[in-house]
Amino acid sequence: MLDLDEMKQRWAEHDRKLDQSIRLNRQLLSAVKLNKARSALQRLAAFQGLEAAIQLVVVVALGSFIYDNIAMTRFALPAAALDVFAIAILIAMIRQIAGALRIDYDKPIATIQKQLEGLRVLRIRYIQGIFLVAPLAWTPLQIVALKGFWGVDAYRLFGIPYLVANLLLGLAIIPLGIWLSKKFSDRMGRSPFFQRLMKDLAGYNLNAATGFLARLSEFEDENLAK
Amino acid sequence: MTTPALQEKFQTLVDEHKKILYKVCNSYCRTRDDREDLAQEIIIRLWRSFGSFDARCQFSTWMYRIALNVAISFYRREDTRTRHVLSDEEHLLNAVDETANQSEEIQVLYQFIGELDPLHKALVLLYLEGNSYLEIAEVLGITETNVATKINRLKQSMRQEFRGAARA
Repeated sequence: MLDLDEMKQRWAEHDRKLDQSIRLNRQLLSAVKLNKARSALQRLAAFQGLEAAIQLVVVVALGSFIYDNIAMTRFALPAAALDVFAIAILIAMIRQIAGALRIDYDKPIATIQKQLEGLRVLRIRYIQGIFLVAPLAWTPLQIVALKGFWGVDAYRLFGIPYLVANLLLGLAIIPLGIWLSKKFSDRMGRSPFFQRLMKDLAGYNLNAATGFLARLSEFEDENLAK
Repeated sequence: MTTPALQEKFQTLVDEHKKILYKVCNSYCRTRDDREDLAQEIIIRLWRSFGSFDARCQFSTWMYRIALNVAISFYRREDTRTRHVLSDEEHLLNAVDETANQSEEIQVLYQFIGELDPLHKALVLLYLEGNSYLEIAEVLGITETNVATKINRLKQSMRQEFRGAARA
């Protein structure tokens, strides 16, 4: 086995050989390809911006519903709960977009990796928050949507026991969802999207992200290096 | 500078420093597809940041910083890696003869780097490239003393491993 300084010498020889043996496909670096890459990123940014704009419309619409029904607590309260949820989602979206825009890859590695990992933690908590609260949001959503779109009173249409049962079912689904995520996240090999989603929900990705943040701190810590 | 002139300058500089691209991609990825995806991502990031590149700084240091940042986040990414812009038939980096580039010793070297965690990979890569401790510290964002300590510790652990292997 070589030591690090011998490795350095071999590396220098490797470097000299690379001069002659690798070619960069300059055609692919042409304006068209670079602009294509840039427009793909712009599309992604535009999509995220559109998502946030739609979310803002939802927040405003719910606010308007609350204003119209302020005297009727049974409608105003579920709408307020939904609005708080929608505002939380909007804030998380904006924080993610702002965080992504702040990342400048030509800054030192420890700084950028910390920002990226922080952003990853934010994204995972956002996904977890949405999926954990969504089953509970179903009942107030029924009440608000029926009243807002068709003027129908869900309390009269379904009866209070049905709405309470829905709420309890939502509560029961949360631990079940977490259990299923933990059990099946590794078996979603064919679908990276679902695998990631399940691992997000189960908390595995959050553990990995916080673990990497801890390793980054250790890497930066001079005392630990000694 | 006009965009075509800027692009021409960018292409020339990246071409002059293509070895950085090759070495970073080979250190962080095991498969050819991953290497190609990573090379594309690095190029895109370089191009996006090129407008703010300060010509008084060394291009290689700037390129290393971006390439390593992209490589670490690529390595850590848990989702699918199918977002590349170019088609499967197009390759950014073509090795004339892959085996000539990578003798057995070089393969062992890449294997050694491959076994390190993503942050230490960056540290070793910068050290092997002949950068000073100060330059390494600037790219990594840690102190010079910390770099020296980590390199010495790495050398010690390699010596111990070597002794252990020799005894066995």
